[in-house]
Amino acid sequence: MSDPKIEGYEFKPGFKGMAQDTGSDQTMFKGVHWGKAMMWIFLLSHTFIFSCFLISYMKGRGSTLIDWPNTSEVFSLHVGSTPVPLLLIAIMTFVLITSSGTMALAVKYGYEKNRKMCGWLILATAIGGLTFVGMQAFEWSKLIHEGVRPWENPFGAKQFGSFFFMITGFHGTHVSIGVIFLFIYAYKTFKGHYDEGKRGWFTTMKGNYVEIEILGLYWHFVDLVWVFIFAFFYLW
Amino acid sequence: MGIMSEKEQSTTHKIGIYLWIWGLLFVLSFFSYMVDWYQLQGLLRWSLILIFMFLKAGLIMAFFMHLFWERYALVNVLLWPMTAIGCFIFLMVAEFQYTVFTRLFYFVVGGQ
Amino acid sequence: MSDEYENKTGYQAQSSETISSGGRGGGSGTVPDADHVRPAEIPEQDLYHGHSFITKWVFCQDAKVIGVQYFLLATFTGIIGLILSWLMRLQLGFPEAAGFMTAEHYYQFVTMHGMIMVVYFLTALFLGGFGNYLIPLMVGSRDMVFPYLNMVSFWSFFVAVVVLLASFFVPGGPTGAGWTLYPPQAILEGTPGSGMGILLMCISLILFVAGFTMGGLNYMITVLQARTRGMTLMRMPLTVWGIFTATILAMLAFPALLVGGLMMTLDNVLGTSFFMPTILKAGEVLEYGGGSPILFQHLFWFFGHPEVYIVALPAFGIVSDLISVHARKNIFGYRMMVWAIVGIGGLSFFVWAHHMYVSGMNPWFGFFFATTTLIIAIPTAMKVYNWILTLWRGNIRLNVVMLWCLGFIVTFVNGGITGLFLGNVTVDVPLSDTYFVIAHFHMVMGIAPLMVIMGAVYHWFPLVAGRFLDEKLGKWHFWLTFLGAYSIYFPMHYLGFIGVPRRYFEMYDSPYVTSAVGMNEFISVAAFIVGAAQLILIYNIIRTLKIGKPAGHNPWQANSLEWLTPSVPPEHGNWGEKLPVVHRWPYDFSVPGAKEDFITQTTPPSEVTETEVEKT
Ligand code: HEM
Ligand SMILES: [Cu+2]
Repeated sequence: MSDPKIEGYEFKPGFKGMAQDTGSDQTMFKGVHWGKAMMWIFLLSHTFIFSCFLISYMKGRGSTLIDWPNTSEVFSLHVGSTPVPLLLIAIMTFVLITSSGTMALAVKYGYEKNRKMCGWLILATAIGGLTFVGMQAFEWSKLIHEGVRPWENPFGAKQFGSFFFMITGFHGTHVSIGVIFLFIYAYKTFKGHYDEGKRGWFTTMKGNYVEIEILGLYWHFVDLVWVFIFAFFYLW
Repeated sequence: MGIMSEKEQSTTHKIGIYLWIWGLLFVLSFFSYMVDWYQLQGLLRWSLILIFMFLKAGLIMAFFMHLFWERYALVNVLLWPMTAIGCFIFLMVAEFQYTVFTRLFYFVVGGQ
Repeated sequence: MSDEYENKTGYQAQSSETISSGGRGGGSGTVPDADHVRPAEIPEQDLYHGHSFITKWVFCQDAKVIGVQYFLLATFTGIIGLILSWLMRLQLGFPEAAGFMTAEHYYQFVTMHGMIMVVYFLTALFLGGFGNYLIPLMVGSRDMVFPYLNMVSFWSFFVAVVVLLASFFVPGGPTGAGWTLYPPQAILEGTPGSGMGILLMCISLILFVAGFTMGGLNYMITVLQARTRGMTLMRMPLTVWGIFTATILAMLAFPALLVGGLMMTLDNVLGTSFFMPTILKAGEVLEYGGGSPILFQHLFWFFGHPEVYIVALPAFGIVSDLISVHARKNIFGYRMMVWAIVGIGGLSFFVWAHHMYVSGMNPWFGFFFATTTLIIAIPTAMKVYNWILTLWRGNIRLNVVMLWCLGFIVTFVNGGITGLFLGNVTVDVPLSDTYFVIAHFHMVMGIAPLMVIMGAVYHWFPLVAGRFLDEKLGKWHFWLTFLGAYSIYFPMHYLGFIGVPRRYFEMYDSPYVTSAVGMNEFISVAAFIVGAAQLILIYNIIRTLKIGKPAGHNPWQANSLEWLTPSVPPEHGNWGEKLPVVHRWPYDFSVPGAKEDFITQTTPPSEVTETEVEKT
């Protein structure tokens, strides 16, 4: 995570350090495992994907002449008989942030080689993710029930339905993939694959706790995307 | 390696910092929910939404994803490409305004 | 499974006392201070060795084999693209002989030709083919950092090609929307392949992007995190710089294509209206409404312009190395070349709408995009000057490789100059969608990179196969291709000026017909000859594999690491027992006072004390 010790290499802080690291041999990101660097670049590429989705959404929403539905009403839930705006979305946000926290701690305990703690926290993260996907399914069915479809929308502009299902669907797919991996990693952690350096089933690479940090990066990214979707899709 | 402080050399961070960030994220989410709850409108709504959004995103990236502790070489590689996205956003705002203008002009006003 | 691992544990630290001297033999014992290179900071790579036929040659994890796989599959699709272009030229030059072809066929051939050549041929060949083969060798690593993912990358590409070719056999045939795939027409009835064709095209592109992402992550991280001792970024051959930067562009540009393709697929399959405006067809209003066709164009070209540099940058890099080796001179202005590559790469994300001057976008954009477009010409021109200054007073070997390089410079300058025309809004408006644009981009991204590919094939074939390709056949191949390609594309500028539009099946009774007919016939004949001339290369390769002259170690007296492997062709793991240690850049040619006219990257300073070699 932070500056490692490298034989024969003196770390400098800040931009000086950046220039020195960039100019050095062997690695540019000093002490960063290649898998972690790879995940970061992958996420950078994914940032462009989600940005393109959101930019398209902005362009689509901005240029339609038909009114956009009031999201605050469309996504309200009834508690008793009073509608509470965006209630479900608020809970989903809460769940996702909770799971992000547990993931961050799992990474910490992983590096401390605390197998049990790490495993349980990953499991908790996975369950949080699963809950999120479940609530999203509920939200989708509610909207579909009210007549919103990808190709039509009784509350206003067609594109509302299109963008809603596409963007949340794409995000939800990423959450689901994350959940699957979280379960697998929880299993592998409990089994001690990362302590023993057991080889991966497909990649045949030796297990290492750094993999948990790598998965964690992915999970935090999914959370990060939700922050933007929450702001731009639900609050706009 | 004289320049590094004690804290920077440890591989994991104290649990307190994670709990703090976690708490802050909840508070910020709550605030942004409140923006909708009180139905703030106009510039105020927009600036609050964006501020809370960027704060949350920043906290997640800086602490949960450890960017705050990473070396500048990595941080800069990740952040500079965002200028292309910034340019894309900026231009697409101009573009949708123009599309609305043409649609209003030709379909509503009638191109006169 | 009978497969095994090399069981090397932890850091196989090479102490700084034992410095390998690459292919030049000798050199152990105590090391003088000047030769000190700091110790290894990353552990030795733990490679997976396949033993069965399947793990060794099919689902192989060796980047070199994957590179050759990419090369062969990309070439195969390229040949299909070539045949399609023949069919189009037949129709344009000799319509009476092409009676079997309808206008629909023509559109489909145009589309598939364009998409195949840009994405499935050039991109896959440069990044997948040359990237895989050369990056690990040139930066001195044993393999890509994540060989398994690299293998999956190739097989995704394979499936993408299968899906693409499958679209020839579905009802309605492949899409005929043009390689830019603009909606609404791409998915409206009346356009050939508007149902299954465009669907398969989008699926194939999405598979390609997914596969490419896996490969691209490997190329980038191998360059950034797995170089050998002494290999700094500023000691990398320009080939690696070009491929590396192109990979970054691909990682950031393909997302826009992915998103555009996905949204169009939804419009097509689910009936959403992302890109579909209200449409009146035969008096009837279609279901669609309110979408924005121009949004697709922005997404497409946000990908599309960087894409042209994804093809161009590796060519820039490779040609720099070929020129330097065969002119026996260091590349002029190495740092400037690196910064130009990086600068062009960065700028290419800010110029995309110069393809949309006539699209009806916000009129103010013309100012912005014309300015950024013309700025990009500066680093590009710097590169051209540097190639020429590298040749200047060099000890030029006028072999086939050098001929291809010279051919590249000429065609690239030609295409670059027409780019300046098209970058200006007022000049572009009348020229847009005419043969002038066809001439521009074929010169600059069709022929020029192709010349580099050919040069690279003649240059690296002795490494891959251990034998020299025949020079005499090579010269025939070069001159026929070069003069032929010029005969094809040079007249097209004129056709554009007189207003012949692109993507037209026939010219009917337009006023320019008389002057265009003869020229079209001429171009078509040249196109047939150039296509056929490529058979010479295929014959040459087959012949060489059987009876070619053995090349041995480092046949071109080059400096970069790929020529310094213990065995030729290099084996899995590349370097045998010990990784090479790098002491200098790869361009120390003709150094005054040196024993030979080249000093390899692994030669330690203590061996070249009497020379005037600069510290790099
Ligand atoms: C000096 C630098 C360059 C400038 C100023 C330039 C400018 C332009 C402009 C303005 C167009 C749009 C023409 C139109 O559609 O009306 C264009 C088209 C094109 N350029 Fe360039 N260009 C340059 C270099 C390149 C390079 C290096 C490549 C590829 C390696 C390239 C590939 C293309 C392609 C493929 C198209 C046609 C796309 C299509 O509409 O199908 N250009 N160029
Ligand atoms: Cu362009």
